[in-house]
Amino acid sequence: MFARKPHGLLDAFAAVLCLWAAAYHTPVGALGRTLTARLLGRQTSARPMLAYYSGGVWEAARSGSPLAVPELSDPEQLATVPAGPAMGRAVFSTYLRATPERRREGAALSVRYHLGPALLDDPSTGPEAATQVVDLARGELGSEDAAVLAFFAGYDTAKYAAERTRAEGNPLQLQFLATRVAPGSADAVDAASQALSLGTAFGLSWPVEKNTRVTSPFGWRENPVTGRRQLHTGVDLGVPEGTLVHATFAGVVTRASYDALNGNLVTIDHGRGVATAYCHNSALRVRVGQQVEEGQVVAESGTTGRSTGPHVHYQLELSHRPVDPLLFKASGQAHWAARGVPELLTPTPTPVKGAAPRGSGVSLAPRNALERAAVLQAGAHDQPPGQGATDAIE
Amino acid sequence: MPRARATTPSGLSRVSQVVGAFRWAFMPLGLIALVAVGVHAAADAVDDRLRWGIEQFDAVADTFFARFELTRAWVDVVGSVERTHAARGLAFIWELVVDAAVALPALGYFEKAERDTLLNPRQTWRALLRRVREQPTPMRLIRPVVAAVFALAGAYAVARMVEGALFVALNAGVVADGLNGPVARICAASTMVVVLYSLGWRAVLRSLQHADEVCLDHHQRRAGPWLAGLWGSALALPLALAALLDTPFWSFFR
Repeated sequence: MFARKPHGLLDAFAAVLCLWAAAYHTPVGALGRTLTARLLGRQTSARPMLAYYSGGVWEAARSGSPLAVPELSDPEQLATVPAGPAMGRAVFSTYLRATPERRREGAALSVRYHLGPALLDDPSTGPEAATQVVDLARGELGSEDAAVLAFFAGYDTAKYAAERTRAEGNPLQLQFLATRVAPGSADAVDAASQALSLGTAFGLSWPVEKNTRVTSPFGWRENPVTGRRQLHTGVDLGVPEGTLVHATFAGVVTRASYDALNGNLVTIDHGRGVATAYCHNSALRVRVGQQVEEGQVVAESGTTGRSTGPHVHYQLELSHRPVDPLLFKASGQAHWAARGVPELLTPTPTPVKGAAPRGSGVSLAPRNALERAAVLQAGAHDQPPGQGATDAIE
Repeated sequence: MPRARATTPSGLSRVSQVVGAFRWAFMPLGLIALVAVGVHAAADAVDDRLRWGIEQFDAVADTFFARFELTRAWVDVVGSVERTHAARGLAFIWELVVDAAVALPALGYFEKAERDTLLNPRQTWRALLRRVREQPTPMRLIRPVVAAVFALAGAYAVARMVEGALFVALNAGVVADGLNGPVARICAASTMVVVLYSLGWRAVLRSLQHADEVCLDHHQRRAGPWLAGLWGSALALPLALAALLDTPFWSFFR
């Protein structure tokens, strides 16, 4: 037992702070809040218990939170995302589905950079406006992740998260930033998480020659070996044996192994909830844990495992779920090149740290961006609306 | 002879006395919360490493299952979602077990008046540390150390939350431009000090008391004090190590 003190204000203050932190930052606290809310018949902002790990990012839409931004994984929806630089398209499409409060934060950020918020609501200008806003915020906050978080959570919240993350010596990635924002901004973290995932996926390249024939598309099909109907979780690209297979984005090799089903397989974690897999190879050129760059050779194609002929099975996972890679093939960039704005396509590699992916591949210096913002506001653009990712499929 | 002047407590002191009457309720809860927040910070740090381990285990399992026609279908059963959920689920279970072993005993926190002759002399720092020296057991050695680390990590997490809330709140014209950051940081550092001064040492002493009680009980039952609380200690130790490595305790003071 302990000696009892007659006073208690300071101890009570400390105890209340600890209880507050436990309620809002631990899964057990979330359980307590959920039960309390149910008893009182109220809605809770508590997330599912497993969402309290790794900042709860990269699978936000399926977290079950009523405030989460609806997931954008329906191919038809994806196809309607207007053209533009990868991250701009992603931020814009997420902005359109976000709650009014989150949209207000995005609009406020665009006002901060002297861009009319109306530009964000127009599909013909939205992706480019979002790109400008994110680029300018990146210049101030230090990373694309922090900039996208600022777009949905507000500048001050993201600035604090970035400063604290930097003070702690961690990279400015969303999984670190997310644990530094107030509990009330969980839905903003969800939105930023979705936007960054989509933006990364929109910026992926292709593992083999772009014109390679797709011998079996993504979707439900009759398995050519077993004859059973099952989901084909990637696309089969018909290439001769020994063709070099390239990483479609920078990342870390999480698997380089053989099994009788997938043959020699490589999986790469690109960060931001994006992962790719390359199966049925004749030889592997990387090992587990290796950091790879976009375009680096990771394997040689073949017909190992359960396969009827030489091909590359290329699989793309977004938030841990397989999606059709063709929806993200050369998305956006071809349209921008066609528009004759080559300066927008100047790639600026962002330093890669750990599994962190680089940026959208498109960057503008703040001064340049401000100038472009002025041009944008003056309406000096002729982008036809409604050109989606599927247009780029060859 | 001059008359002694009666001192009347100030308003704040009176409020503090009134609040002090509820120490029996908020002190144990505060201690549990402090340790639990620290344990969660540690579990969050190991989650990524668990995910990596599960990924490698799944690769080996896939290689094995794909060899046989009967088990070939199992290769596709565990996907990326399942691996992530398994890692987070394991981290959550680990956290719960360590909460039960290290945080929950704080419920036994009990205070008596300072002049009370019933204050147990066996439970003072000096007596407890002497027994740790004379009769060391894994529980007596490990529990107070991990409780100290979790209390530190918990205090850090609480301070970070305070800093975040103040950083944004103070920016709304409360303090001059650019001052919200330093002010919030000073408040956070103060919060960390207050929490450790108020609850931190108590969490460690309570953990030591609990470990001592359990070891004495084992000793009396001739059950072998070395085995007392061994699982809890073994599971808490790696988490405490993760918390120690992953928490930049000094970042407020840089």
